[in-house]
Amino acid sequence: MRRKRGFSMERRKAVWGWIFVLPSLFFFAAFSFYPILNAFYESFFNRNLLSLRPPRFVGWDNYTYLFRSREFWLSVQNTAIFTFGTFLPLVVFSLLLAVCIMSVSRLRRFFQLALYAPAVLSSVVAALIWLLIFDPRGLANQGLNLLLGTTGVNYKWLSDTNMLRLSTIIVYFWKYIGYFTVLFVAGIGAIPYTLTEAALIDGANRWQLFWRITFPLLKPTTLLVSVMTMIQCLKTFSTQYLFTTSGAPTRPINVITLNIYNTAIKDYRIGRATAMSILLFLVMLIFTWLQLRFSKTEEVTYM
Amino acid sequence: MDMKRTRSWYLGKASNAVMWLILITACFLVLIPLAFMFTASAMPAREIMRLPYPWIPKGIYWPNFLKGMAGPEDDFIFFRNALNSLIVAGSVAFFTVLLSAITGYGLAKFKFKGRNLVFMLIMATMMIPFEAIMIPLYMVAMRMGLQDTYAGLILPFLANAFGVFLMRQYLITFPDEILDAARIDGAGELRIFGSIVLPSSGPAVATLAILAFRSQWDSLLWPLLVVQSDEMKTIPLYITRYMAETHSDEGIMMAVAVLASLPMIVLFLSLSKYFVSKEGLTSATKG
Repeated sequence: MRRKRGFSMERRKAVWGWIFVLPSLFFFAAFSFYPILNAFYESFFNRNLLSLRPPRFVGWDNYTYLFRSREFWLSVQNTAIFTFGTFLPLVVFSLLLAVCIMSVSRLRRFFQLALYAPAVLSSVVAALIWLLIFDPRGLANQGLNLLLGTTGVNYKWLSDTNMLRLSTIIVYFWKYIGYFTVLFVAGIGAIPYTLTEAALIDGANRWQLFWRITFPLLKPTTLLVSVMTMIQCLKTFSTQYLFTTSGAPTRPINVITLNIYNTAIKDYRIGRATAMSILLFLVMLIFTWLQLRFSKTEEVTYM
Repeated sequence: MDMKRTRSWYLGKASNAVMWLILITACFLVLIPLAFMFTASAMPAREIMRLPYPWIPKGIYWPNFLKGMAGPEDDFIFFRNALNSLIVAGSVAFFTVLLSAITGYGLAKFKFKGRNLVFMLIMATMMIPFEAIMIPLYMVAMRMGLQDTYAGLILPFLANAFGVFLMRQYLITFPDEILDAARIDGAGELRIFGSIVLPSSGPAVATLAILAFRSQWDSLLWPLLVVQSDEMKTIPLYITRYMAETHSDEGIMMAVAVLASLPMIVLFLSLSKYFVSKEGLTSATKG
C-alpha cells in the first residue's frame, strides 16, 4: 500500500513537471527553433517579398552570390573593424578603471554608478545624443580643437569614412565602459585578500602585484568579458541604423545586421537576407560556445 | 561584489593620487554627454548651437518639451507611443518572469523522463541570437497576422532561456521539506508554486523583471520590423520618426531623449543594486 502510494506520487510529480515546462517549450518551439530551422530552409530559396511567383529552390546560389558580392564583404569588414576597434579598448580601459576603483579607499560605489550611468540609456537615445555632439558645430569638434590647439577645424565625425567608423565605436565604448568595469570590479573582489597580502609581505611592488597576482587570477573574467564584448559588437545595429537614417553615409558603417535588415526590408530579398543571417548565426555560435565555456571556468577556486 | 575595505585593498593602503586622477577624469568624460543631454533639453536650439557650447541654461525652455510631446504632427502621439512601450515592456517583464519561474521550478524540483533533454534544448536557444532569426521570425509573425499588434511585439520574447536558467539555479536549493509539507497539507501544485515558491524568489524575480523590461524599452530592431502604423510605435520608433522628420531642432530632440530616459533613470536610481550586480550584469548579454 505504502509502496503503491509512493509510486503514484512520483508519477504525479512527473506529470506536473511536464505541465510546468510545456508552456515554455511551446514558446521556444514557435519563436526560436522554428525560425532558425526555417532560416536554413529559406536560405536555399529565392523568395522575394513583392514577387507573386512562388519562391524557387536555388540551392547554394544565395551563398555563392554573397561570397562574390563586394557589398557583403564590405559589411563583414565593417563588422570586423567595429568589433575589434571596440572590444580591445573596452577590455583594456575597463580593467584599468576596475583596478583604480579597487585601489582607492572611498567613493567606490559612486565611481561604479557614475561610469555605469550611460548603460541605463537606451541605444536610440545614446545615438541621438552623440549625433548632436558629432555635429560640425558640436562638442566633439570643440573638444578636439581645444585639445589639439586648433581653431574651427571640422574633423568630419559623421562624413569621413574612418571618422564615421570611429564615431560609432566611441558611442559603443561610452555606453558599455561602466558595465564591463563593474564586471571586472566583481572579478577583482573575488580574489582572496590573503593572496594579495602574502605577495605584499614578500615585498612585491604594485606593478609586480598586478602582473603576477591580479592579472593571472583575472584571466577567466578577462576571457569572459572579451567574448561577451565581441558577441555584443557583432550584433550592433541601433547606432549604425540611426546614424545612416539621419544622413551619414551608409557604406563605411554598413554592418552585417544593417545589411540583413536592408536586404530584407528595402530590397525584399528574403532568401539572400536569411543566408546572411545563417552566416552570422554560425559565427556567433562559435563565440557563444566560447562564452559558455568561459563562464563555466570562471568559477575557479583560488586554493 | 565585496565592498569591505580590508579585503579588496589589493594595491596597498595609500590611496594613490594617479588612481584618483584617472577615475575622476574618466567619470567626468563619461558624464559629459549626459550633462549635454540634460542642459541642451532646457535650451532653445539657437543657444545650443552657439560656439562654444554655453553649458548653463537660463532657466528651462519649456517649448522643447511641449513640442517634443506634441510630435511632428502636433497630435501628442508621444503619449500613445509611451503607453505602447509601457504595455510591451511591462507585459514582457511580467510574463517572462511567470513563464521562467514556472519552467525553472519544474526543471529544478520535479523528476520526469526527458528533463535533461528539455533543459538542454532550452539552453541551446541561448546560442541563437535574435539578429540571426529576425527575418524568419518576421515571416512567422506576418503569417500569424501579428504585424502591427501588441501580441506581435510581446509574444516572441516571452520564452527566455536565461530566465529559465536563472530561476532553475535559484530554486534548486529550495528546501524540499517545505514543498512536501505543503503537499501533505493538501495544497495543489499550482497553489504551492503561486503562494510558496514564487513569493520566496524575490531577488531572482526582480533581476529578471528589470532585465526584461530594459531590453524591451530599448528594443529598436523588432518594432522596426513588425510595427507599421504611427499609433503602434514604441518610444524608440517615435524618436527615429522624429529624427527623420524634424532633424533640425536640437533642443526638441534632447527634450525627447530626456523624456524617453526618465523611466529608466527612475528605475536605476531606486533599484541600482539590481543593475550593478553580478547576476544583472552577466544576464544582460541576452538583452
